[in-house]
Amino acid sequence: MSQFRVGVDIGGTFTDIVFLGADGKVVTKKVSSTVDDYARAIVDGLAEVYEEQQLAGADIAELLHGTTVGSNAILEAKGARTGLITTEGFRDILEIRTLRMPRLYDLQWEKPMPLIERYLRRTVKERVDSEGNVKDALDPAEAERVVQTLLDEKVEAIAVCLLNAYANPVHERAIAEIIRAKAPDLPFCISFDVLPEMKEYERTSTTVINTYIMPIVKGYLESLRRELDSSGTAAPLLLMQSNGGLMTSEAATRLPANIVESGPAGGVVGAQALSRKLDMPDLITFDMGGTTAKASLIEKTEVTRSLEYQVGGGIMIGSRLMTGGGYTLKVPAIDLAEVGAGGGSIITIDAGGSMQVGPQSAGAFPGPVCYDQGGTEPTVTDANVVLGYINPTHLVGGALTLNPEKSRQVLEEKVAKPVGLEVAHAAYGAHQIAASNMIRAIKAVSSERGRDPRRYAMLAFGGNGPLFAAGMAKALRMTRIVIPPSPGLFSSFGLLYADVEHHYSRTVRRVLRDSDPALLNAAWQELEDQAREQLAVDGFSDGQMRFRRAANMHYKGQIFELTVPAPDGVIDAAAVATLEEAFGQEHEVTYGHRAGPEEPVELVNAMVVGQGIPHRPRVPDRLINEAAVGDKLPPRQAYFGPEAGWIETPVIRRADLTSAHIGPCIVEEYDATCLVPPEATASLDSYGNIVIKLKD
Amino acid sequence: MAEIKDPIAFELFKNTIFSIADEMALTICRTTYSGVLRDNMDFSTAFADADGKLVAQGLTLPGHLGSIPDALDVVVDRFGTEMKPGDMYIMNDPFDGGMHLPDIFIFKPIFVGDRRLAFAATICHHADVGGRVPGSNASDSTEIYQEGLRIPPLKLYDQGVRNDTMWSIIEKNVRIPVQVFGDLRAQLAACHIAEKQFLELVGDYGEETVEIYMAEIIDYAERLTRAAVADLPDGTVSFEDWIDDDGIDTDQTIRLFVTITKQGDSMNFDWTGSSEQVKGAINNTLSYTKAASYTAVRSILPDGIPNNEGVFRAIGVEAPSGTIANAVLPAACAARGLTGFRMVDCAFGALALLTPDKVGAASDGGNTGVSIGGYDANRKPYIFVDFACGTWGGRPWADGLQGNSNIFANMASQSVEVIEAEQPIEILAYEFLTDRAGAGQYRGGAPYRRDYRFLEKEAILQVRSDRRAVRPYGLYGGRAGKPSMNYLNPNGNNQVLTTKPTMNISHGDVFRHELAGGGGWGDPYKRDPDAVLQDVRNELVTADAAREEYGVVVDTEGWTVDMAATEALRAERGDIELETVIWD
Repeated sequence: MSQFRVGVDIGGTFTDIVFLGADGKVVTKKVSSTVDDYARAIVDGLAEVYEEQQLAGADIAELLHGTTVGSNAILEAKGARTGLITTEGFRDILEIRTLRMPRLYDLQWEKPMPLIERYLRRTVKERVDSEGNVKDALDPAEAERVVQTLLDEKVEAIAVCLLNAYANPVHERAIAEIIRAKAPDLPFCISFDVLPEMKEYERTSTTVINTYIMPIVKGYLESLRRELDSSGTAAPLLLMQSNGGLMTSEAATRLPANIVESGPAGGVVGAQALSRKLDMPDLITFDMGGTTAKASLIEKTEVTRSLEYQVGGGIMIGSRLMTGGGYTLKVPAIDLAEVGAGGGSIITIDAGGSMQVGPQSAGAFPGPVCYDQGGTEPTVTDANVVLGYINPTHLVGGALTLNPEKSRQVLEEKVAKPVGLEVAHAAYGAHQIAASNMIRAIKAVSSERGRDPRRYAMLAFGGNGPLFAAGMAKALRMTRIVIPPSPGLFSSFGLLYADVEHHYSRTVRRVLRDSDPALLNAAWQELEDQAREQLAVDGFSDGQMRFRRAANMHYKGQIFELTVPAPDGVIDAAAVATLEEAFGQEHEVTYGHRAGPEEPVELVNAMVVGQGIPHRPRVPDRLINEAAVGDKLPPRQAYFGPEAGWIETPVIRRADLTSAHIGPCIVEEYDATCLVPPEATASLDSYGNIVIKLKD
Repeated sequence: MAEIKDPIAFELFKNTIFSIADEMALTICRTTYSGVLRDNMDFSTAFADADGKLVAQGLTLPGHLGSIPDALDVVVDRFGTEMKPGDMYIMNDPFDGGMHLPDIFIFKPIFVGDRRLAFAATICHHADVGGRVPGSNASDSTEIYQEGLRIPPLKLYDQGVRNDTMWSIIEKNVRIPVQVFGDLRAQLAACHIAEKQFLELVGDYGEETVEIYMAEIIDYAERLTRAAVADLPDGTVSFEDWIDDDGIDTDQTIRLFVTITKQGDSMNFDWTGSSEQVKGAINNTLSYTKAASYTAVRSILPDGIPNNEGVFRAIGVEAPSGTIANAVLPAACAARGLTGFRMVDCAFGALALLTPDKVGAASDGGNTGVSIGGYDANRKPYIFVDFACGTWGGRPWADGLQGNSNIFANMASQSVEVIEAEQPIEILAYEFLTDRAGAGQYRGGAPYRRDYRFLEKEAILQVRSDRRAVRPYGLYGGRAGKPSMNYLNPNGNNQVLTTKPTMNISHGDVFRHELAGGGGWGDPYKRDPDAVLQDVRNELVTADAAREEYGVVVDTEGWTVDMAATEALRAERGDIELETVIWD
């Protein structure tokens, strides 16, 4: 009998479900999301598959889940009514933030509303210094009064973040005791348990977000569990974290801040697994949907992570320099660069006579003009229709019929005529400009960090990724592109590859060469113990645990840190020297220069990732995809620029690529369309991936 | 002005060249040693064409908007004919193309073969360039010679060979050479990255086309700017404002005066009428006056216009030499930031008369600088420099922001916990103040205070603040913001300090700075009573002030507005004639 593992990814419009059998059998399902109660679409979608495949809940081994319930609560300000207790004199840390705004010269700017209004932010007199010494003791009577004030205000959760608590949580713990005594059922968090790191704004913001969404995430996970149980699906539920690891639903209930960006993580984790399987250790992932495009980097088969990001910070361009647009979360997350470019991006000619694509989008409704739903502005999808790249009669995999003549008219009138170009040429230009906007996302994760994109292969997925991949790769001088099976569902498929993972860090702040190795050793050891404890709770035996250490460092006096792997085993003087050298090398790679030996390196944070390794490989080598193979398709005219012009282009199925094809050709599938330009060669590898090779 | 020939190729080219300029900026930002540089984003990167005309500026400091062309002009004039591949130039002299001494420019001409095609340009505020006071930004220097190392335009590299003399002179004249060298390295790296990527671009497009497109980007920005300016009403408007004093002649206010003429598709900022240059170090170079003027006008134009020469062609800026807006030798100018911020507010005041619906009332006046420096017990120097700003004036559509950087700087605050771990300083408070914002239909932003306790044996405390005697103005019936304040030991003998003190402090002393409140916009009696209630509940406005300034009666037991009492109170005053500018 076959046991299935199931990946479930909830998006704003669709809930994607992927079943994977122990024998490699793959079954996919796309259902509409149920926004009022996301759990319902999951349970209904599962039931549909059970019926189609004659399965029952008992056939499911585990459910892996990526969800936007946390980020939605933040973005829509629908979290719990939360109170904050902080040190006297620092009531406004949450609202003052870092002062910085994400835009220059913008008098219209409005800061994101603080998640906790000022009257629910209360202070206590106490003081711990940066070494962790208590300078002013907390008065328990005052703390009790403050807690009572918040309870009188009917708060549904309390966050506690005191100054310098990363160095000593004694006062935070005392307040925790008081809350527990006065309101035993009230959810609360102290900052030391959420993020024991220096920098009061980042710690406060992260603790507040964790507290603010805790009751929401808890409610959601409980209701999902209930509905699964009542439908006979008793399998354990694991949640995708922003960092690409899984966590149990119990752990997610305690630290929901970790699952806020779980949506896009699945695809990158899937990419990492493919990079190992295909022996392509260095990959750039490119995920493009209807409204945004995202890029990330896999290096030496590892995903790259950032240690801090902003929820709702808007789109990437500029945001790496210009923070302040969203809510700061200092938890490790897969490092994604995002630009607002998708099929719905609108094409305009600006007052200076230059063609612009986006950032405005026609969205899902009214959508592109060819959808015939009332859209009046030409979009990237309209350009692709005019160019013959996408099926002109209906939306692939969907019931929606397209009106290509409308695309042509609107492009002619609003784009081609004003600049005096032929309509196909104008559409081709829009396609290229959209690609050039998205290239900035790829540069942000590669060349801006000293990585030459030419050394990487591109893995393209998402509904629109395979349509743009070849053109972008060419502009970046990349020569190899991989398109996985079911590219439109790859994000939920990726969930199936993830492992249970827990990330821990602690501020150390010591100059390496002056510090006692025993002290550094203890710091990492302590974090490893924490990770071991959690993995044991998750049900892993000692033999199934893997620990990876990392060090977050800078030259003393420098402000930004770089993270490098730290040696395993006992940290001695030699290990410290290795660490210092590793930092110098990374600095050289990333920024093109390093300091001389006279400049000491400072360890800022020690970090440990604990991983739970399953007994068996989680995904079988061979996958059997039973997706229907359609009829033969007629060729169509497609336009490849003013030089190549219109070319009659074969339209084929993925399966036809068992023998190599030289472009141009168009591979049409249920959930995506892949464009192979002239002179490129496309073939299938033994795992069913399309591999496109471009001429050097 | 030619139209764009190939709008597609042009847009692709523009995208690439701006992304190179941004990548240069990221390189500097991430490798810097200087907190000033990182937190204040006090650096800029750019591309210029072979003649030094600005083509693309990275996403960086508004205060540098006009600076690179003026500096490059000097370098091109002096070295233009003899430049060779591998040369790099350095300079910082405000009277020879620079801004103020801490801002060091590095330029790299980019050649294809023997032909100069472009310049990569960087400018960074360095933590210290010597002079009489740590940090080199004292406001009480009276001549440039006190302010630090003055570097005229010189070769830092000569055909790839490092000018060791120059490096040694820098090393011996700055307090913390490790930091300065670290940041210079970052500037060099940014120029190298720019060169490499620019040459790839030349490989793709060819030299001719690259030159054509660089010129086209400038024309394109000019077209966009002129189209946007043409949409504004024509007219001539003037505005005046005053700086409290220069820290030397403490009883003398300093006048800023601007006349903006908008005619058709161009605009002119004339600063004639501003005060003579002053003794204290708050004098501007003309390039900084330009930056303030460009910033004000950019803030009311639509976004998406590239920052380059094309913008400057449509917007003229002039100021008579020998004035605070265009100082001559031997003027001190290290602390000219203050004047720049205030010029932006002054220009906004004028623009409010021209286009009342586009700009708000006065901000807190830009950042206050606090520096505490000296030597510890081991004779090791330490310098703590902190900047504070955060309130905007009320706007015709919304309250002024609070706890948000001034628009001329986009700075970030330093983390309290990092300060406490690294400096002999304890921060005792960083929190909004009550009843200090200017009242208005849309009120000014609430200012905050920052309290510093000093923990070493002794040090020199130096403060650059303003907006006490002359408060942030309100507009169209909005009241002025409350003044900024400085105190020593507020919980002890509470001594009120001047706006720009330089003094010795010793262990345990507490310095408190309170920012000025933002000015209000519109009649406070027209403010939505629920917004007033929310302010009272949040303790940003007291119930007394709600009644007196806003005519709103709040029930602080049940947290409701007493509508009957409010309406009666407001009716009692009735409609009044609103003054356009209110100083209080």
